[in-house]
Amino acid sequence: MTELIAIFISMALINNFILVRFLGLCPFFGVSKQLGSAVSMGVAVTFVMSIASLATWLIYNYILIPFDLKYMYIVIFILVIATLVQIIELFIKKTNAALYFAFGIYLPLITTNCAVLGITLIVNTVEVYSLWQSVVAALGAGLGFTLVLAMMSGIREKLELANAPKAMKGLPIAFIIATLLGLAFSGFGGMI
Amino acid sequence: MIPIGALIGIGLACGLIIYFVYIKVPQKVKGLEKTEEINAILPGMNCGACGRPGCFAFAQALTADPDLITKTPCTTVLQDPEKLEQLEKALGITLDASAMLKKALVHCNGNSEIICDYSGVDTCKAAAQLLSGYKKCPYACLGLNDCVEICPENAISIDPEKNVAMVDTEKCTGCGLCVTECPQNLIELVPAGTKIAFLCNYKQLRNVPGREKCDFGCIHCRKCFKACEDEAIEWNKETALPEFNQEKCTLCLKCIEACEPNTLADFTKAKKEAEVVTA
Repeated sequence: MTELIAIFISMALINNFILVRFLGLCPFFGVSKQLGSAVSMGVAVTFVMSIASLATWLIYNYILIPFDLKYMYIVIFILVIATLVQIIELFIKKTNAALYFAFGIYLPLITTNCAVLGITLIVNTVEVYSLWQSVVAALGAGLGFTLVLAMMSGIREKLELANAPKAMKGLPIAFIIATLLGLAFSGFGGMI
Repeated sequence: MIPIGALIGIGLACGLIIYFVYIKVPQKVKGLEKTEEINAILPGMNCGACGRPGCFAFAQALTADPDLITKTPCTTVLQDPEKLEQLEKALGITLDASAMLKKALVHCNGNSEIICDYSGVDTCKAAAQLLSGYKKCPYACLGLNDCVEICPENAISIDPEKNVAMVDTEKCTGCGLCVTECPQNLIELVPAGTKIAFLCNYKQLRNVPGREKCDFGCIHCRKCFKACEDEAIEWNKETALPEFNQEKCTLCLKCIEACEPNTLADFTKAKKEAEVVTA
């Protein structure tokens, strides 16, 4: 149990996907203009990450390792993630239309999100977690992603009103804010 | 062989899973039946004239508030009586299409003298920024195709002789894209039943006669007002311009005959066509 909590905190804060591992940077700047869409993007990514790490763990350990096909893991993982996103999209569209339109284009875009491929590679090949540890790690990584996206969008909403120099308005000042956030998160480095 | 087989196998399995999920999950989206019904009636060309990002977004808005169709009507549906009937049924309201249908009217006849040779960027927007264009009248149509290009129905063309935008009232759906595009603010959406068109935008300075700027501009002489026998023209003292009452107008065209600078014109050209048919 302690180990699971340690993995969760490590993935969410210490090795935060955006600010420490630099994965999933395009939604970090692309979808962080409004708090609402940032949170729904974060929830969608968390969801896909958890299911993808579960599915890829099963495939990696029960198909790829027994048949000695480890070298094909990237191709297979991409395939699995793309399938999962398609299925989730179908389900959401037909069960909760409001959520589907809230996600809009971001749901299909998760297919090519490096954070999702990143978590499947980390849990299977870098850290070599067990099934439960993989799911908890993915959940932690997703929630850390959501947290940073929500923080960034909250700051950027206020930033619209701030009196920044004209040349710095918009994306440039957002980059500076991102570095400051990254600096703050590096403070979690010695926690565990 | 094993790697090839494994890759094909996993790919096939993924494909089959998507296929089965697609079949098993009910096709009808819950809570969206009405929106999809309305969306099927809307033209689906996503022109944006209703002010929504697309036809589906407009269908969603209509589901929430059916009265929106009167405030920001879909101009393409209004043209089609059959579709309009379906929409009325779907929304549960009745609409008066003829009152809502609008047409674009260009308030210029293009006769203002060209005072300098403009050879800059080939758009009205660019030309309008330089001393309000290259014509003597600063409110004149510049005829550099801005409205022609924006029109989704190809209803606007530039008269080569007069160098002025002409609207084909048959093709015009009244979407209003040209109204916002024109940098000279010449184009106005008028009810489709408009009979007399006022082809001059020169109304800002009533003490300077239009004739100084253009041979065909309104000189505020009131002759149309006096010529009208049906009391369909009222003289607006504020703007010093005639105002036309469409209901009273019998399309006798006496005001057009009386107008010396030829500022007035028959908007729909219905009379002229009728004469051609009888002759």
